[in-house]
Amino acid sequence: MKNWLSEQAVNHPKRTLILLILFTLFIGFGVKWIIVDDDVMKMVPEDMESRRSWDAILDEFGSHEMIFIAIGDEGKSIYNDSLLATVYAFSSALQAIPEVDNVISISTVDRMDSDDGFINISELQPGPNLQPDEIAGIKTYLDRHPDMKVRLVSKDENYANIVIIPMAGIDNNTFRNVVVKVVEAYRGPYEIHIGGHAYLTGTIPVLIREDVMNLMRVGILIMALILLVNLRSFPAVGMVFSVILLSLVAMMGSIGWLTLLTGSEGFHFSMLNTSMPIILLTIANSDGVHILTKFFKELRISGDKRKAIKKTMHTLRMPVFLTSATTVAAFLTLLSSPIDQMMGFGICISVGIIWAWLLSITLLPALITLKNWNINSKAVSRTSILEKTVDHFGSLVIKYPKIVLTCGVLIVLTGLWGLRSLKVEANIVTFFKPGTEMRDSIEFMDRELTGTMDLEMRVEGDLKDPAVLREMDGIQNFLEQYPAVSTTISIVDIIKQMHRTVMDDDPEYETIPDSRNKVNNLFTLYAMSGDPDDFSSLVDYDYQTGVITALMKNISTTRIIKFVKSIRMYLQENTDDHLNVTITGMVVILKDMVHLIIKSSFISIIASIVIIFLILWIAFRRAIWGILSVIPLTAAVILNFGLMGLSGIYISHITALLSSIIIGVGVDFAIHYVSQFRALIGSGISQAEISQEAINDVGYPIILDAASNMGFGALLFSLFIPIQYIGGLMIFAMISTSLGTLTLLASLTELIKPKLFKLKALQ
Amino acid sequence: MKLSIKIIILLLYCTSLFGITGFEIAKAVDERKAPLDMTADLKMTLTNKRGKTRTNEIRSVSKDNSAKQIIWFFAPADDKGVAFLKIEHDDRDDEMHLWLPAFKKIRRISASKKGDAFMGSDLSFEDLTSRDLDEYTYELSGDTLLDGQACYVLTVIPKPETDTEYTRHIEWVTKNKFLVIRAESYDKSGELLKIRRIDYTEQEGYDVPVRIYVENVKKEHNTLLTFEHIKLDTGVKDALFQEKNLKRLPRR
Repeated sequence: MKNWLSEQAVNHPKRTLILLILFTLFIGFGVKWIIVDDDVMKMVPEDMESRRSWDAILDEFGSHEMIFIAIGDEGKSIYNDSLLATVYAFSSALQAIPEVDNVISISTVDRMDSDDGFINISELQPGPNLQPDEIAGIKTYLDRHPDMKVRLVSKDENYANIVIIPMAGIDNNTFRNVVVKVVEAYRGPYEIHIGGHAYLTGTIPVLIREDVMNLMRVGILIMALILLVNLRSFPAVGMVFSVILLSLVAMMGSIGWLTLLTGSEGFHFSMLNTSMPIILLTIANSDGVHILTKFFKELRISGDKRKAIKKTMHTLRMPVFLTSATTVAAFLTLLSSPIDQMMGFGICISVGIIWAWLLSITLLPALITLKNWNINSKAVSRTSILEKTVDHFGSLVIKYPKIVLTCGVLIVLTGLWGLRSLKVEANIVTFFKPGTEMRDSIEFMDRELTGTMDLEMRVEGDLKDPAVLREMDGIQNFLEQYPAVSTTISIVDIIKQMHRTVMDDDPEYETIPDSRNKVNNLFTLYAMSGDPDDFSSLVDYDYQTGVITALMKNISTTRIIKFVKSIRMYLQENTDDHLNVTITGMVVILKDMVHLIIKSSFISIIASIVIIFLILWIAFRRAIWGILSVIPLTAAVILNFGLMGLSGIYISHITALLSSIIIGVGVDFAIHYVSQFRALIGSGISQAEISQEAINDVGYPIILDAASNMGFGALLFSLFIPIQYIGGLMIFAMISTSLGTLTLLASLTELIKPKLFKLKALQ
Repeated sequence: MKLSIKIIILLLYCTSLFGITGFEIAKAVDERKAPLDMTADLKMTLTNKRGKTRTNEIRSVSKDNSAKQIIWFFAPADDKGVAFLKIEHDDRDDEMHLWLPAFKKIRRISASKKGDAFMGSDLSFEDLTSRDLDEYTYELSGDTLLDGQACYVLTVIPKPETDTEYTRHIEWVTKNKFLVIRAESYDKSGELLKIRRIDYTEQEGYDVPVRIYVENVKKEHNTLLTFEHIKLDTGVKDALFQEKNLKRLPRR
């Protein structure tokens, strides 16, 4: 079948070309149905504990996602009529947004006063235009209630804090966009800083996508230049790119078609999918480079175009098929991922790889056949400098195989050692370089306000029972001892404030009342004139479930893990059975999700290696060939993650996906080498010549492929730190996979070649 | 024929068709015969959007069309003994007192906004206060059958100077007794906020409510008030509406 396809392409190139373009356009038509979806929560499995608690909180108390806005002027007190009027108008404008559920600011919160037995619940800021005595009244009240003040005013009293909470079910991207639209209208007279997890997760995917797309264009340009310098033929480079671009069109189209046909959110185009074009580019590039370099070599030998292309396709038919099959198998291991979007990722990229394979064995021979090649051109008649260098390098490897192998093994062992230092980072603040506007805003809010991170604790128990309330109070005190926690909020704070108010505003009574009846009386008192919804974000209707929110400054995922662990220990030691507490919050969910992605990536890596080994065992009919083929990519995976550990590069959900590139490209190099080695044994070559010949045949395309993929080192210039890491690691991955094949694999096959010859003879 | 003449003729035709104006209907509702005082046991059930409920059982004694009202809580057990006293004044803020038995304190409370909820229910203080006829305009929008009763459909719009949380009410007023049996209230953005349904019983010559259902459409929250053991015109004295009586929980 594969042979027939190539034969058809060579015999009927025009027909093949037209049919392929039409088919690709048909698949590509699917882009119409691509749904861009940046909702991070869709990536989080619903059965994850922190997600379950988060959903329960969302259901019972509304959204706890927040955007924080600081407005004011450095060196000027917020207690002036102009700023407070702006805060009033700003808060009203934000409250008028249909997607916004609640706005917390000086102008929206209520005050509770007690005057000679008269309890009055009223607005802290009665209106937009305030008299000096009213402004002084606000200041006095906030100074008397520091817990409230810390949430509304900056430490130096120069900035007012506005907290915006969305309606349940509104994704962060939409939420961020509607809020930013209002913010823009208020920019000008005052400094405005925006932050908060919802803002970041709503902003980042779009920025990253734009940034990656721009840098990818640079990467493609560099890739084309490297190919051009080495292949020395515009048409040849054009042919490689035609395979790349058409397979990209097919992959993107498949995303749309699968979305349309399945309706699954797993096929939505998310931040995760941003890396898909780069992965496919590197993989699709590989077959084209091998076919064209082989073709030039054969043309140089035979001088006959048809003969050369037929020989090329005959020789590369099997390795090109195996490289695609193994890579597809590797990506399909993502089907076992608990994250739907990773399953979609695996399927769609597999479609792209299959299409790239089809194009490589049909479109390329057709295009090569259609082109009139000048046998005397440099591209055909002369070997390139890189080719000569690789051949020279190969001779060194063969000369000192033991030294090369020992060095390789030592390097891999260093990588293994580096794995111990690998750290996970899910804090998206670290995506931004210090000094960028986004990072500055977040750091400002950490310094001056309550920070932009939050941790939620869902508590279940009798929330009118003073004993339970005291335990909650204890938890809050424990949380507040942690340096990164600015303040905590729960129904306990309201009860304490009501208690003080009912007891003639005596600060001595800012405590939890000693009886359940008193607690209940306080609620009844509030219900008499307050809005019954006032507590709905803190406690459920029958006072059986509540939420404690800790507002925090940004901390690393490692510290979050330790903090959560210490909270769990505190809960174990200090709470009874009558209080059940679960910890959640976006930071915890993100941490869990990133762990899940990393875990799933590692499972996928191991499964991929096993599957690749099995496929190659079956294809090459001996386990030894399978083992040899997976050695370079296993070494490359260890080295890459080891290097990340040694150099302090954090592993995140973005950098974890790099393993896909290593597997995809690494296996291709090894297969080409092993296939050629086996073919050479069969050709009757002597044991002395075989390794040099194998390197001469596949070493150059391997290095050329790797070198052209290094164009994606352009990602090093990204605005986002993880993308920079991907750029750097991409270069390292290309070096490690290509050199892994030409050193570890080549030296090993050189050392055990008598045994390999014997096996082949037996076969 | 000029357009203005046509409109006048049409308006005259409409008036003759209905035979009554919106204002006349509102006046009839306002002047409906009401008892001097009323004592009743009420069950107030609040239900939130998740279907969770809270139920209070209270005794209410009111006088002068609820301008004076005293309420004692019997249930739930946590609230037993809590009592509330309200006295409306024309010339100053209304008085509201709450007895908190667990603290053994009486606290005066205020509703700073008319839209504030009354006892955590979907009824606001404004909903419970009788409307001043002159503060609104009334338009008869048509007539219809509701639950088998012939009704006028009255649109009530506050005048610009009126202090209110609403922009419009649509009321279904029975033609025979001028009872409001359904009302829709619209918020400041012009959207439907609350729906009220009221069932009446005839007792001692008065039509008194026995069931009031209020739904806050936006919050998906509702309140059901049911009245039992209604006693009318029993001669409740003004002296009952004093702070000291809050502490005296009556027998059920």
